[in-house]
Amino acid sequence: MWETLDDFYWTYQSLIHAVGVNGILALSVYVVLAVGQLSLGQAAFMGVGAYTGALLTVKFGVPFGVAMVGAALVPALLALVVGGPTLRLTGVYLAIATIGLGEITRIVFLNWDYAGGALGLSSIPERGGVAAIYGTLAVLLVGLTLVARSRVGRAMEAMREDEAAAGVMGVNLPRYRLVALVVSSAMAGVAGCLSAHVSSFIGPNEYGFEAAVTILSYALLGGIGSPLAPVLGSTILTLLPEVLRPLADFRLMVNGLIIVLAVLFMPRGILPWRIARTG
Amino acid sequence: MRAMSRRVLLAAALLGGSLVGAQAQDKSPVKLGAIEILTGPNSRYGIAIQRGFDLALADINKAGGVLGGRPLAIAYEDSAGAKEQALNAARKLIGRDKVPLILGPTLSNEMFAAGPVANERKVPIVGTSTTANGITAIGPYVFRTSLPEADVIPVTLKTAQAKFGIKRVAVMYGNDDAFTKSAYDVMKASLEKLGIETLTTETFGSKDSDFSAQLTKIKALNPDAIVLSALVEAASGIELQARQLGIPEKVFFIGGNGLNSPKLGDIAGKAADGTLVGSPWFVGKPDAANQAFVNAFKDKYGGDLPDQFAAQAYDTLFIVAKAIDAAGAPDSEKIKDALIKVKYTGVMGPFSFSETRDPADTSGVVVLVMKGGKFQLLQ
Repeated sequence: MWETLDDFYWTYQSLIHAVGVNGILALSVYVVLAVGQLSLGQAAFMGVGAYTGALLTVKFGVPFGVAMVGAALVPALLALVVGGPTLRLTGVYLAIATIGLGEITRIVFLNWDYAGGALGLSSIPERGGVAAIYGTLAVLLVGLTLVARSRVGRAMEAMREDEAAAGVMGVNLPRYRLVALVVSSAMAGVAGCLSAHVSSFIGPNEYGFEAAVTILSYALLGGIGSPLAPVLGSTILTLLPEVLRPLADFRLMVNGLIIVLAVLFMPRGILPWRIARTG
Repeated sequence: MRAMSRRVLLAAALLGGSLVGAQAQDKSPVKLGAIEILTGPNSRYGIAIQRGFDLALADINKAGGVLGGRPLAIAYEDSAGAKEQALNAARKLIGRDKVPLILGPTLSNEMFAAGPVANERKVPIVGTSTTANGITAIGPYVFRTSLPEADVIPVTLKTAQAKFGIKRVAVMYGNDDAFTKSAYDVMKASLEKLGIETLTTETFGSKDSDFSAQLTKIKALNPDAIVLSALVEAASGIELQARQLGIPEKVFFIGGNGLNSPKLGDIAGKAADGTLVGSPWFVGKPDAANQAFVNAFKDKYGGDLPDQFAAQAYDTLFIVAKAIDAAGAPDSEKIKDALIKVKYTGVMGPFSFSETRDPADTSGVVVLVMKGGKFQLLQ
């Protein structure tokens, strides 16, 4: 019995890791979407975090905890620098600017020979694992739920629904936007660091436009009514390709069909409900 | 819909019947795992490999299978070209299906993800199409039957030097792709070793379509040849533009494995004439074993010609079957010990593993030259 369970866990270990990491990524894009911004830079921030963490452990041999802190700080700093000019933009213009950011980081990693260039970084030591991933996810989930129920959460929701009205009511729009971007990039960086340390290899092309769209789709499928919604979305999108494995050749087709149907019939996400206010 | 479900039922019934039959003879099949790209944009590689395996599988089972009459079987898992899916597939094959050996995955990147997992569980994993540096350094359970670029490119360059007396070359490579970059590293080392002077090294992105800046510079330097590491789409564009810019035809291209594709001739046409590539295998190799393979492949797959990936897969399954026979049991540890000792001569030529679990013999490498849009053996 124990052995069977152990085998089961071993078989699906990568998938269990991926569900947790993608959950954190979904939360990171949720934080930006929650203030009514559209960012396609999450994959880039994830890549910066992954490279920071991996370089710290591979080249400098620092403890995993330090690598995690670095992987949160560096993307946060990057977000602070690019946030100033880009957050003057809204909607589709911000999306385009963040796509540009993603492309620039990809090209930097490609041409940075110290970090492996096009060949990527391999033999990253295995650290963290399930405990670190799900611990982080749980802390973020609880933290963001508490925020959503607070005054700050109400302000964020007001910004999302009507920015002008929220501004008139005294919400400090630029500051909220910047803080949201910085926090979300730190979260994406941590997710990158966690995933790099369970997959042993990272490459510059993993954090491109496709990854950014995938991360955004977690929130689109799940909804952004509450922090739980995007995590549910990411869990479904991560598990689907593996659950559908027995379908063989039809796998990716059915996968796509399910997503299209979900978006068509549940445009506000699978979990559209908002969190009730307590305080 | 109804027709389909009936077909599924029929297939299930047949499968059930064959399983019962196998048990009755007490000759259960030896099931291996294979991870290949069967769907998505890179599926043509995975499907070519699958066809090679299936052809070899039929041949082996017709000749009595392995271990004195047990049929060989392959459980395929699709990776869709994504390293996460390759990793999940490897874990499923090892943890759930308990296969004694894994064939694949298709791409080197996928092997860097799946290899460490197989190695951790002490299950041999045999790449048939992974050519990047460092694959077998993953661990003692990681093998490959595909010649790495590091073995093929030096042969090509040496032949070019001996036949055409090249002394000064220009080098171009795609710097945003692991495959073309690692081939470039080999080219650079090999050119230095042969004492060929490199006039300039130019780079481009794999999705670029305009190469005139780099080619104009190369034209001014007047090299004897251009050494090119690119995927076939970019390579075709570069060769076309080189001729348009007036680089004379006597300045020929020497390519890495990326150029070893019939598509080069299809796209670049006459501009590609004279291009030299090294290949571990060639469809027109005249020996009897190879011709029998090509004909059997054509018969089975409606006239399609095999490519090098199918040929490598075909030989690999025979090598693995030989190792299983030598091991005496479908046991991972015994197969691993037997694999390293296997000596086999197949459609690719003589084969054995080196101490580092790479192919030891490079005598099967052939140098091909493009003439009239088609590759042929360099005479």
